[in-house]
Amino acid sequence: MMKEPFIHTKDLCYSYSDENGLQQPVLRGITIDIAKGEYVAILGHNGSGKSTLAKLLNMILEPDSGELWVAGQDLTSPTLTEDDFYALRRQVGMVFQNPDNQLVATIVEDDVAFGPENLGVPSAEIRARVDAALATVGMTSYARHEPHRLSGGQKQRVAIAGILAMEPNCIILDEATAMLDPLGRKEVIETVEALNREKGITVLSITHYMNEAARADRVIVIDDGVVIMDGTPREVFADPARLLAAGLDVPQCTSLVHALRAEGVALAGDPVTVEECVDLICRALEVI
Amino acid sequence: MKNIAFGQYYPAHSPLHAMDARMKVILSVLYIVAAFLCKNVLAFGALLVSAAVLLILSRIPARIVLRSLRPLFFIMLFTAVLNLFFATGTSVLISFWRITIYVEGVYSAVFMLVRIIVLIFGTSIFLTYTTTPIALTDAIESLLSPLRLVGFPAHEFAMMMSIALRFIPTLMEETSKIMNAQKARGVDFSSGGLVKRAKALVPILIPLIVSSVRRADELAMAMECRCYRGGKGRTKMKVPHLRIVDFAALACMIAFGVALVYLNHRGIGYTM
Amino acid sequence: MAVLTLEHVSYIYGEGTPFEIRALDDVSLSVREGTVTGIIGHTGSGKSTMVQLFNGLEKPTAGRVLLDGKDIWAEPKKMRDIRFRVGLVMQYPEYQLFEETIRADIAFGPRNMGLSQEEIERRTKEAAAFVGLEEALLDRSPFDLSGGQKRRAAIAGIMAMRPEILVLDEPAAGLDPRGRDAILEGIRAYGKETGSTVIIVSHSMEDMAAYCDDIVVMAQAKVCLSGTRDEVFANAARLADVGLDVPQITHLMMKLRARGVAVPEGIYTVEAASAALRKLFGKGHTV
Repeated sequence: MMKEPFIHTKDLCYSYSDENGLQQPVLRGITIDIAKGEYVAILGHNGSGKSTLAKLLNMILEPDSGELWVAGQDLTSPTLTEDDFYALRRQVGMVFQNPDNQLVATIVEDDVAFGPENLGVPSAEIRARVDAALATVGMTSYARHEPHRLSGGQKQRVAIAGILAMEPNCIILDEATAMLDPLGRKEVIETVEALNREKGITVLSITHYMNEAARADRVIVIDDGVVIMDGTPREVFADPARLLAAGLDVPQCTSLVHALRAEGVALAGDPVTVEECVDLICRALEVI
Repeated sequence: MKNIAFGQYYPAHSPLHAMDARMKVILSVLYIVAAFLCKNVLAFGALLVSAAVLLILSRIPARIVLRSLRPLFFIMLFTAVLNLFFATGTSVLISFWRITIYVEGVYSAVFMLVRIIVLIFGTSIFLTYTTTPIALTDAIESLLSPLRLVGFPAHEFAMMMSIALRFIPTLMEETSKIMNAQKARGVDFSSGGLVKRAKALVPILIPLIVSSVRRADELAMAMECRCYRGGKGRTKMKVPHLRIVDFAALACMIAFGVALVYLNHRGIGYTM
Repeated sequence: MAVLTLEHVSYIYGEGTPFEIRALDDVSLSVREGTVTGIIGHTGSGKSTMVQLFNGLEKPTAGRVLLDGKDIWAEPKKMRDIRFRVGLVMQYPEYQLFEETIRADIAFGPRNMGLSQEEIERRTKEAAAFVGLEEALLDRSPFDLSGGQKRRAAIAGIMAMRPEILVLDEPAAGLDPRGRDAILEGIRAYGKETGSTVIIVSHSMEDMAAYCDDIVVMAQAKVCLSGTRDEVFANAARLADVGLDVPQITHLMMKLRARGVAVPEGIYTVEAASAALRKLFGKGHTV
């Protein structure tokens, strides 16, 4: 039996009006279901609408039409009260691209406390949540530091701690690794993967790093405001031509296998990691 | 650029660092009043001693606090000279050409100088050296919160100040980056007349403003995502508590004020 | 021939303060004329400081920076001329756009050079073409463009000065694959068609492998490896020591060699790997 989805959208549409007053559609009917505890990568080139989708899920934007349910609540329902609204928003945390523009306080621990303070959590409990959140992302020893002296990866981990302190069910990374160097990217991805694995937090990672997407349970590709592919990384990367047409890439291993196949070499399977690819090629060569 | 220390907070373990920031704001106001109470040599002497005591209590090296006087050197000099030459009195000290310096002038110049130095010393020790900017902002919010009854946005005011504090280092770094980027395109900031130099600022200011607006926009969104809705229903992780040390300090300050008033009446020499 | 040389260069931030940081420590290197040189290293390895030494935005604490064999600090008053010869595109250069139109912004550098109006127009058009900005976009405000287009406009602004050496700090950072390829191709085209030397700072081994002739690896304020692309990538162990990786495809080839598959060394692109493997599979094993 299919679990009740944590996120459910059907024919979700959103458009904005440009400077000439014309409606520019961004999302043209997005239908997805995301189960609790899933780790989903959302791929799409810049301007494909993937960030808009994230903002709809977090209620920063309101959809024009379509169904939008989060945590069993209809977000488009007119009976939604302000308290319901914040109770829902608390469950879906967002980490944005620019690490500098999402930290509010001048001290790390005060920043992590910002969310629970807004929710009116009692002081002693905020302290406990802040300490736990910083420990989870491995930033305890930086609790008293100033955010502007941290590295990009550390800032993003503080941002994640700030979300954890609100006890969310879902974290959306809106290109949260785009401005980081490889080490910072690794720090953030490993932190989020651990949260997904150990705490069962649903993760939606919007990215254009194919190697990050290859690590997800599921990849959704958005192009021109619609979902064009949805499946496991293996299934999605099996069609490089379609990804390239959507302005994306596949991991080098995957494109090697496809290049060989195009040359007429018989290779069965769609490897997404180096190890799988090595095995596949060795097996094929032994057959010779 | 990253290493420019903003503010002058000097981390140390001292009774002054341990005090509640709200009390420190109140004490600095009282200290300013005390400095203006002083009228004669005895009182000003006591004021100087009190500044020295504060310095010792704060455990901050004297040279660091002295450094804060440097930018005000000319104001101090100007005040002293003004008092020296323009104060009139009864006993002439020197008189030459069209200038007469009175003994009273010397007194008032020295008194004014002591007053300015002690004011800077006192307030900077209380407010900037021993209190983090953020604690200060919280203290101001807390002290202003009664004004909410008359519609003053105390929370918003404090939030604004603390965001400003958070972003000053970021924007300073950004300014230097943009300056370098435009220098790489041949902008020359250091030569030419006033108009040319002012014009050279345009390629700095426009990107800086554009980027600040973008930052503000993104920050607002991030704050919304973290369920910010103004001061409504908000709690705080760090709730300040007034402790014995705070009340003891207040008692000392009041005693000091009383002592000054007493000393003012033990008239020795010139009285302002 | 070396066009740009660092001779025992050190750079210290905040010398004499408690915040003193040694960003570069006795670095010597030379960049060959007409090549594309990549500089790789982690944040804090000194590479961003290094690019600002190339065009005299920062002055070395010790050592000399030589352009065509001449110390660029010999006549500090003529530093502007050095900056026109060594064009620097900083990180996230789209944030430096300020003019009303893209065209005016690209022309800003050439205008500062005091060129004639026709020359400025010619160079603006040429630079826009290198980065693939269409003529129709040039009269739009820079603030109406997409992130990738803004980035291209900013890079064109430096190309329009026609520098002999084009230095770019992370030109593709944060872009999607299509935007990344467009920009790197534009940079390659600029180098080829004008015969200029190009220096690219990047984190991406895949990009370095695909676009660079020479590679300099920075770690802890020093040059830890330098040489041609083949020489540097042959040293995968040394790269791993400083926490860097060879491109995924090279990594794959190494693993295959370890399993006894006879693929040659020095493969950094999917095309090369595919060609090498194609030979091994031979004719009889195709469908």
